[in-house]
Amino acid sequence: MKNLYLFIAVLFIPWSFSLAKYDEFEDGDDIMEYDDNDFAEFEDVSEDAVTESPQRVITTEDDEEEATVELEGQDENQEDFDDADTQEGDTESEPYDDEEFEGYEEKPDASHGKNKDPITIVNVPAHLQNSWESYYMEILMVTGLLAYIMNYIIGKNKNNRLAHAWFNTHRELLESNFALVGDDGTNKEATSTGKLNQENEHIYNLWCSGRVCCEGMLIQLKFLKRQDLLNVLARMMRPASDQVQIKVTMNDEDMDTYVFAVGTRKALVRLQKEMQDLSEFCSDKPKSGAKYGLPDSLAVLSEMGEVTEGMMDAKMIHFLTHYADKIDSVQFSDQFSGPKLMQEEGQLTKLPETKKTLLFTFNVPGSGNTSPKDMESLLPLMSMVIYCIDKAKKFRLNREGKQKADKNRARVEENFLKLTHVQRQEAAQSRREEKKRAEKERIMNEEDPEKQRRLEEAALRREQKKLEKKQMKMKQIKVKAM
Amino acid sequence: LTEPRAPGRYKPPATETNPALEDPTPDYMNLLGMVFSMCGLMLKLKWCAWIAVYCSFISFANSRSSEDTKQMMSSFMLSISAVVMSYLQNPQPMSPPW
Repeated sequence: MKNLYLFIAVLFIPWSFSLAKYDEFEDGDDIMEYDDNDFAEFEDVSEDAVTESPQRVITTEDDEEEATVELEGQDENQEDFDDADTQEGDTESEPYDDEEFEGYEEKPDASHGKNKDPITIVNVPAHLQNSWESYYMEILMVTGLLAYIMNYIIGKNKNNRLAHAWFNTHRELLESNFALVGDDGTNKEATSTGKLNQENEHIYNLWCSGRVCCEGMLIQLKFLKRQDLLNVLARMMRPASDQVQIKVTMNDEDMDTYVFAVGTRKALVRLQKEMQDLSEFCSDKPKSGAKYGLPDSLAVLSEMGEVTEGMMDAKMIHFLTHYADKIDSVQFSDQFSGPKLMQEEGQLTKLPETKKTLLFTFNVPGSGNTSPKDMESLLPLMSMVIYCIDKAKKFRLNREGKQKADKNRARVEENFLKLTHVQRQEAAQSRREEKKRAEKERIMNEEDPEKQRRLEEAALRREQKKLEKKQMKMKQIKVKAM
Repeated sequence: LTEPRAPGRYKPPATETNPALEDPTPDYMNLLGMVFSMCGLMLKLKWCAWIAVYCSFISFANSRSSEDTKQMMSSFMLSISAVVMSYLQNPQPMSPPW
């Protein structure tokens, strides 16, 4: 549908061009005919005048060479005419005698003589020239647009091919592990569509669900924007690669409480700054993975050493070492709430909702020049994901670890409450003031003076009671302190 | 291993709720395209109109599927009309800035 609109619109451009160009010529023709009739009365009088005046009109539209000679001739004729007029008076109807214009035959000779003067070539406006060359800027623009459209179609098709290559390789594994593969949320019932959901020309989603331990898994194929020429040119300066992002939402009972991440150092540093949970729970800088038998390119961010120990079993290390070039980051977190939200001061009154999540980000090899084979090579990584899901379910912290984890979470919550304490106080204060104001207004609005007095008294009594209560509390605190 | 429990439904990724994550390119390009086409129409500048056409194309290429095509088409038609109007009013070809 979108393509159809494009083509129709592209056809408009040259059509409108042709319209603009031919209008001029039509107008020119009209003017010529009109002038012909105008000068028709001079036909008997002087042939030169008749022949030259239409030519004067034509010269503006014909070649430059003819222009000047005719113009100069015309000017001289005009002068002669004027002279004749002043001599005789009424000129238009009277036939001219040859005798009267003695110098007239010499006129052509005189005009020839004057040809030796420098000829100034009149500049014919470019749009009246009968050539397309003067429109070279426009042609350039249209060529640029056509190039953009071509790139759009090629890029879109490439992304499509890559996505389907990925899906065809992974389909079997996914279907054997999940009951529902592919759901775009539009059907009333949860039926497996078995297809990728295309969100964009460069983003494809796949939702899988129906497995023990996890609520569901959302796979996002985030390709490069190959359909946008600007992006393609920008990537020539700064290479980037396609990414596959997998987000597994775990059930509450199937994952213990810990925050852990492993990945390239650059990715981890960025995530630590951006992600809410990593920044709050993992305070240390990413440690090199070499300590745990991983290649040096990978680093580890963890809440507790015990978690890292537990996670780094033989199979995991094998996976991470073998596919280290494809792994961007792997994050297991029970306090996952996405990136830090930029909120204005005074708005943050509640902690963001957290979900137990496993988040995997893989880089597709090829660094931009991906081929379907590269997409297929990601299949072992999907097996790793499945393995991690089962591992997360099995892994449990021991007593010490659990205590530490609980302490950490309580600490984070306390900090949050402290930060917002001031805001919450202000909110409560403003609420109380609102109530008081409403009461006062009610009292004022009461027309009956009796009722007014009674309400006022009631309000006074309430205030007194409050004061007394406060005083009692202060006394109790003082007694306790003593 | 694969006891199929009642599968959960698809939930669109959180970008809808977190506008900071969304790519702002199509919106910016749309706006820019409209501004340029208005400039081209009012000030009769041909190059403005051409840039507007480019902007509307870029916005279209970067658009999300959730965006409706009506807005895209309207910005596109506006830029085409800006180009056509500047040429009808002044059929001279564009002169390069150098």
